[in-house]
Amino acid sequence: MKKIFQSSGFRELLRVFIAVAVALALGFIVTMLVSEDPVGAYKSFLFGPVSKLNRFGDWIEESITLIFLGLAVVVVFKAELFSLGQEGQMVLGALVAGSIALFVPLPAYFLIPLAILGAMLAGFLWGLIPGYLKAYLNANEIVSTLMLNFIALKIYEWLLTNSIKPEDAGYTASDTFPVEGTMSSFIPPLPFLSEIRTLFMNQTNISIALYLMVIATIVVYYLMYHTPFGYELRMVGANIKFARYGGVNTKRTILLAMAVSGIFAGLAGAHVASGVHRKLILNITFGLGFEGIVVAILARNNPLLIPITGLAYGYLRAGANVMERTSDVSREMVLVIQGIIILLVTAERLMPMIQERIKVRRTQRNDIPPADTGVTPTEGGD
Amino acid sequence: MPFDVVLGGILSPLFIASILRISTPIILPALGGLISDLAGVINIALEGIMLVSAFTGVIVSAYTGSVWIGVLAGIVVGMLYSLLLALFHLYLNTDIILAGIALNIMAQGGTIFLLFILTGDKGNTSSLASGAVPTITIPFIENIPWLGTILSGHNLFTYLAFLFTWLVSILLYKTPLGTHLRAVGENPVAAETVGINVRRTKTIAIALSGFFASLGGLSLSMAYLTLFQNAMTNGRGFIALAAVFLGGRTPWGTTIASIIFGFADALSNQLGSLAIPPQWVQMIPYVATVLALVIYSIRRQAKQRERLRRFQEGEVKSSGAAEAGTD
Repeated sequence: MKKIFQSSGFRELLRVFIAVAVALALGFIVTMLVSEDPVGAYKSFLFGPVSKLNRFGDWIEESITLIFLGLAVVVVFKAELFSLGQEGQMVLGALVAGSIALFVPLPAYFLIPLAILGAMLAGFLWGLIPGYLKAYLNANEIVSTLMLNFIALKIYEWLLTNSIKPEDAGYTASDTFPVEGTMSSFIPPLPFLSEIRTLFMNQTNISIALYLMVIATIVVYYLMYHTPFGYELRMVGANIKFARYGGVNTKRTILLAMAVSGIFAGLAGAHVASGVHRKLILNITFGLGFEGIVVAILARNNPLLIPITGLAYGYLRAGANVMERTSDVSREMVLVIQGIIILLVTAERLMPMIQERIKVRRTQRNDIPPADTGVTPTEGGD
Repeated sequence: MPFDVVLGGILSPLFIASILRISTPIILPALGGLISDLAGVINIALEGIMLVSAFTGVIVSAYTGSVWIGVLAGIVVGMLYSLLLALFHLYLNTDIILAGIALNIMAQGGTIFLLFILTGDKGNTSSLASGAVPTITIPFIENIPWLGTILSGHNLFTYLAFLFTWLVSILLYKTPLGTHLRAVGENPVAAETVGINVRRTKTIAIALSGFFASLGGLSLSMAYLTLFQNAMTNGRGFIALAAVFLGGRTPWGTTIASIIFGFADALSNQLGSLAIPPQWVQMIPYVATVLALVIYSIRRQAKQRERLRRFQEGEVKSSGAAEAGTD
């Protein structure tokens, strides 16, 4: 039992838990200062996403996006690389999936897989660029991915306003996709499920992307831990020089890590285009670009934990929207809470520091050193 | 629309003056980005610091009725915010990128949150009477026909941007602090061995980058516009970071790169009437930055290869000499 509490996994979990609790408590203090009805506001924040079916739908839809983005980040993080490029890959994924849905006349069972594959390919190719620059030229991947985001957004804006938007449209958006081009509801069209299916379809846009998300999570896990590519990727991440001496083609691994990551960001794009909005709009990523990084950090880079942290993080965001609609507190307060959570979770030295303090205070009180810090006998003293 | 009209528009002194005005909120944070980058700290939080200072400046000037107290408050709060980055990165071992992202998210949310509390509006502070820094007309120069329009009559921050470019190049290359700063960025372990306090030097670099990012934010909300707008930095903090790389990590290079970004922005407005999509023009600086990154990396690799070759040649020579000695 004691071992579990001392294991690093448990401590990581505890740290995330404490960080979230502290941030939520701070959020409540702020709410008390600004709100007429702080308890009501906080209640709607904490329980809002499960209070109505359409809110539940918003939560799940956003979480699916976050989970895809989180998976994309895990792949690069495992190789100790950094990529801020998910936003660009996502927007191009949405562009390709949307264009296929709008302009390719095919029946649904061909069109949807084609749109999804197209989005994955778009993400892959857009990830190849920073991957190549990093692997073969050792160019700073933070700057290159940031720039490629801006370029992708401009390409998207340009094509949307000049080619995709119908001439007579009053605002910058495409036509709504035909039914064949939208992802169908996650509940299969079976006779005995028809009632609940209509209910969900009327209130939410939860689509088959849900299953794609589960598959993607398993694929990332399998890729990381049960394939040569994953092994090489983790070796590059652990010690790149060692990996090179061990015969790993490190350049190819880095190139592929960035590109494979793009596949999952592209899937996020397909999800928001064909699953959620069902048309192409300006700002389709809604500034979600960097949030995948947060989801990956909270999961401590474990692909199997990504769905959990994605759902939790999505819950915060969905709760914030409900709070804004039903109380006098604006949802931006939750951004501050998010920031605090990131800082507290990633501050490597915060927990050890606090533990040290507690230990010091305890020793001062008891005036005897705790047994734990027992002096280890030195070996072979010569 | 004929091309020569546009060309005439681009060459007009008013257009060139507008480039300087648009570039100012990029030059200032870019100088901050340069200082921290040379010290080995990539400051993603420029965007957030700009937002915080832009907001503070407007609010304080509106409530005190004094422009200068507003500017001062903006600088102080912006620098304190950047010190938060130093605290988490240097003292609590948070990854610099993640800390930067967190500060950006908090700045984005916090400014809108407070904006809503103070004004009941999430969009902007147009209901508050906030101040603007004065514009400066330069005597004599303002009367020179073409040049006068370009050089005179800008707001204070535009002149400060160029003054500080010069001061930063002196700071970086002519003072002990600058030498320490670059040494820490180049090789922190070596710097530590010769007795430079790495952590303190990096803290100073981050605080300085906070100072310049704050000026950039204030130039947006108290000169370029005279109000605070929800998310008004609009990615300028990231563009500033790109300008550092496009400018080859030197002060004047960074400023010139910032002006190129400003030029593309101004040009895309001007081209609205031509058949060229504005997005293409807006894309140019980003593509240029990627290309600059490529060229920079290729040159660095060539240099490394050259060094390795020389080292190996030296090795062969010395081992040859050793063999000759034993014979």
